[in-house]
Amino acid sequence: MSLLVPAFGLSAVALCVVAWRERRENARLRTRLEDAAAELERLQMAFSRFAPDDVIERIIAEGSADHGEKKEVTVLFADLVSFTALSERTEPSELVRLMNGYFERMSAAISAHRGYVSTFIGDGILAFFGATEPNPWQGNDAAEAALAMRAALADYNQELLARGLPELAIGIGLHRGHGVVGLVGSRELKEFAFVGRTVNVAARTQELTRTFATDIILTERLYRTIDPAFQVTPLPDTPVKGVDQPLAIYALDGARVTTP
Amino acid sequence: MAAIREIEWEPCLLERTPNPELEQRFRRETGRPGDMMQFFEANDWLADTIVRLSVQINTHVHVNADIADQVGLAVSQDNSCRFCFGQQRAFLRVLGFREERITRLEQDHLTGDFTPQEAAALQFARRVSGSQPLVNASELNPLREAGFSDIQIRELAATIAIHLFFNRLATLGALPPEAAEQFPDQWWVRLLRPLLAVRVQRLRFTGHAMSLRPEQHEGLLAAIVNALDGLPIALQLREIIDGMMSAGPLTPRCASLIFAIIARALGSQACEDEAIGLLRSTGLDEQTIAHTLDHLTAPGLTVIENTVVPFARETVWYQAAQLQRRSVEVQQATGKAAFLQIVGITALINALCRISFLRDMTT
Repeated sequence: MSLLVPAFGLSAVALCVVAWRERRENARLRTRLEDAAAELERLQMAFSRFAPDDVIERIIAEGSADHGEKKEVTVLFADLVSFTALSERTEPSELVRLMNGYFERMSAAISAHRGYVSTFIGDGILAFFGATEPNPWQGNDAAEAALAMRAALADYNQELLARGLPELAIGIGLHRGHGVVGLVGSRELKEFAFVGRTVNVAARTQELTRTFATDIILTERLYRTIDPAFQVTPLPDTPVKGVDQPLAIYALDGARVTTP
Repeated sequence: MAAIREIEWEPCLLERTPNPELEQRFRRETGRPGDMMQFFEANDWLADTIVRLSVQINTHVHVNADIADQVGLAVSQDNSCRFCFGQQRAFLRVLGFREERITRLEQDHLTGDFTPQEAAALQFARRVSGSQPLVNASELNPLREAGFSDIQIRELAATIAIHLFFNRLATLGALPPEAAEQFPDQWWVRLLRPLLAVRVQRLRFTGHAMSLRPEQHEGLLAAIVNALDGLPIALQLREIIDGMMSAGPLTPRCASLIFAIIARALGSQACEDEAIGLLRSTGLDEQTIAHTLDHLTAPGLTVIENTVVPFARETVWYQAAQLQRRSVEVQQATGKAAFLQIVGITALINALCRISFLRDMTT
């Protein structure tokens, strides 16, 4: 009996020590978990600047960024006309302000019609419709977005004129086709992209806006999918680099006109 | 994914139209005050639907109630529904979930310390909620591997669908979220939390298996409803869907157009075929049907239809505040009574089309 008391005492002390260690270890693990969660949140924030939310979630769920998917997407490629000359005669800070104002307005016009701005290339804008979410109306959305960009640029030009700055002019090419969407790039820098010939054709179509002195051109492939109520003018079939046959194209003149 | 305070939310665009009789029924059947009810009481079908689904949201036959509640939070967050998100959060807090646990649910849903069943259910709930693209039956395997039986998966799908319905209802009407958001932090709630938890626990109903009557196996979206046969929700859904098309001033044609557009947006061919069948039965010609589905407008549509059709598309994937601003325009164009019916139908169809994978599950 006399031995049992100190034995119980020792056991109690040992239990307390174990419980204290357990508690300390739990606290340490909780801190590490919270740090990891904060790091994950930071990574998600960083990723979200260049990839849609659902893509980021899929990457985290699968533990791999090498996910690619075949999709039919409408590509919008926009470029400023005579930008090089403009950049040479404008003050750098004024030029940056002017460009930011331009990108801001164009991005808003694209997003308002469910487009995803993939990247700014110099003064160019590359945007996709139907790449981030299923979109059976992607062709109409892209055409509406291009018209909204035209209208937004007209408003912006009024502002620029009032500030004594030169007006901007834009060329927009639209094409629809298949390709692969996914995160592409180096280990350090990846971006959400749509890869394939469709992007090249959209860029070539945009270049044709100079040839035909118009601001929005779409390809036959896209034209066949959009509402016939859009106002368009057929342009001559034109050979472009990288495409075997001359490209059938249309100038997009205006919004849909529906007869009641 | 947005935290509750980060969700941009417009002022409420619906008026409260108190109806003591309906509120009494809500209180009697659900055991709680019907904050949401008061905004929709002007439409009998919608009010009745809210009561029925409010009972069903807390009725579980096979699925663990805690998992079902966590799924509710995940779906509300995924839909950026500040009203439901706040309510679900308050519900969990009262039940005794600690703030850290809820935060983890919100932030670390992919990597957090969940049981395999919780993790699979949460992932599934978000997948169904997003539906980009629609969930197909082969995606149910992770749930089965986590130990869910087929009947539990069906019940889980129905629970998700009910949350999807309420999320859109609250978002389209921009219901005021403040009361629910502030509720758990009030001093008396903190003091009485254990008692409130007991009360809230009692609001969870253990449902009983029940079968559809033979004649209830027919009707709109029968394949989805029949897949839920055996669960109490099946009977409720059958009656709710049967009343949907004549639930207000919208013509059956306009209601069917909403159905068709949402089905097309989500890529549910089976639902789209059903909607096209309905449109044909209203006498709409093939050319107008095809043009509307392809271009969200058609020369033969009425002004109201040409307003409602593109709006139906916008309810599928959206940013809450942006959609609420569009809701204001649509309410002005269609009138308050029609708008309530539009809200009810878009919410229900969005929810049901998203669980159309049930068509491929044999009962």
